[in-house]
Amino acid sequence: MQGNRNALKVAMVSVLTAVVVVFTMVVRIPTARGYLNLCDVAICFIAFTFGPWSAFIAAGLGTALADLISGYAQWAPISFVVHGLEGLLVALIVQKKGDIAVSLGRKALAAVVCIATVSLGYFALSALFITTVSVSAAEIPGNIAQSAVGFALGLVVSAAVKRAYPPVSSLAW
Amino acid sequence: MTTNTYIAGKGWLYRFDPRAKLLLMILMCIWFFLPVSLLHLGIVVTLVVLVGSSNTGWHHAWRTFCSISPMLLFMVLFMPFNVREGVPLITIGRFILITNEGLEQALRLMSRFIGITYVCTLLFATTVMHEVMLALRWYHLPYKASLVVTLAFTYIPFIADSFSQITESHRLREAEDEQKKKVGHRLKDLVPTLTSALVVALRSIPNLAMSLEMRGFGREEKRTSFHRLDAYHHVFIHFVLSCIIPIVFWLVSMLF
Repeated sequence: MQGNRNALKVAMVSVLTAVVVVFTMVVRIPTARGYLNLCDVAICFIAFTFGPWSAFIAAGLGTALADLISGYAQWAPISFVVHGLEGLLVALIVQKKGDIAVSLGRKALAAVVCIATVSLGYFALSALFITTVSVSAAEIPGNIAQSAVGFALGLVVSAAVKRAYPPVSSLAW
Repeated sequence: MTTNTYIAGKGWLYRFDPRAKLLLMILMCIWFFLPVSLLHLGIVVTLVVLVGSSNTGWHHAWRTFCSISPMLLFMVLFMPFNVREGVPLITIGRFILITNEGLEQALRLMSRFIGITYVCTLLFATTVMHEVMLALRWYHLPYKASLVVTLAFTYIPFIADSFSQITESHRLREAEDEQKKKVGHRLKDLVPTLTSALVVALRSIPNLAMSLEMRGFGREEKRTSFHRLDAYHHVFIHFVLSCIIPIVFWLVSMLF
């Protein structure tokens, strides 16, 4: 029985990792300053639906793999840490206790934590290891916009998927 | 959607053991942060690019450079604001645009950025993914973790294809031109597409879990491996070379 559960966990994390890679690489919305990718939508969806550990592994691994495939290998460790933490923290905040619905306050807190983790995480780590403080600071507005849009869409998509495919609720761990 | 970063070739980097190559990549990334002169840093970056290009071709080097060019442009644009102290090189009226120290720091950061990027992409351009996974497992990466990565790579094309088909079918139902819509409207329209794509992906989880069980996942017996790294010879020499190359670079930069 334990083996069955382990196989399900491995299958779930693998598919969710692939989902994060696809959302990062395939979906790109052009804006005036470049592109918005939807990795945060996938991460927030996983955090809302599957719980902290799935969110941590799938978000970290998915974004790191997307960086490796796209030719930005040097960003992969940073993406792993930042997005992994983003998924873990958001999932921990919005984790349901029994049948009680997640309050609006907790959702707002999760949104703030999500935006802060992505923008400050990328700023601090890229300034420390890859670029300069000023270059990293210039990326902050884009990261804030991307994570805010990602959080809002992730919330909506999570509710829509739970309605369209109810068995998804039983997969969380 | 291309998920394969490997470029076929016959150069010496292709014959280099993946485990030693992984070690060399990490040591070179550390080397770029050592306090060496700008001249030595530039020479080493040029050497890395030359050696890499002789293995993977100039096209790969150019493509890697193009992918990081926006970030390099940012570094040049922000150069006047990074370092204000030092000997002025270019001034506009009373405003010092570039100082000697500022230029040196910008060049150092750009060289480091190009070096790290090129070393990392070179590993994945000269090593097939299953050999990278075998090398990571040799460094004691858990079997489950490598299985997750392998399965994710298998599922990426399937999910990407489903996503494209769903996007196309949703687009065909819309009368309004996609390009004329505002960003907010476009994001709102994405919700049904994303929901459908996610449901398709999630439905494959139980099937994948079942096939893993049928293949014996989770059983106690020691598993066999189809792919092996036995084809690589002189592994010890490769490991020694991986350690010696960064050390020689560092010693040369200290002595001259």
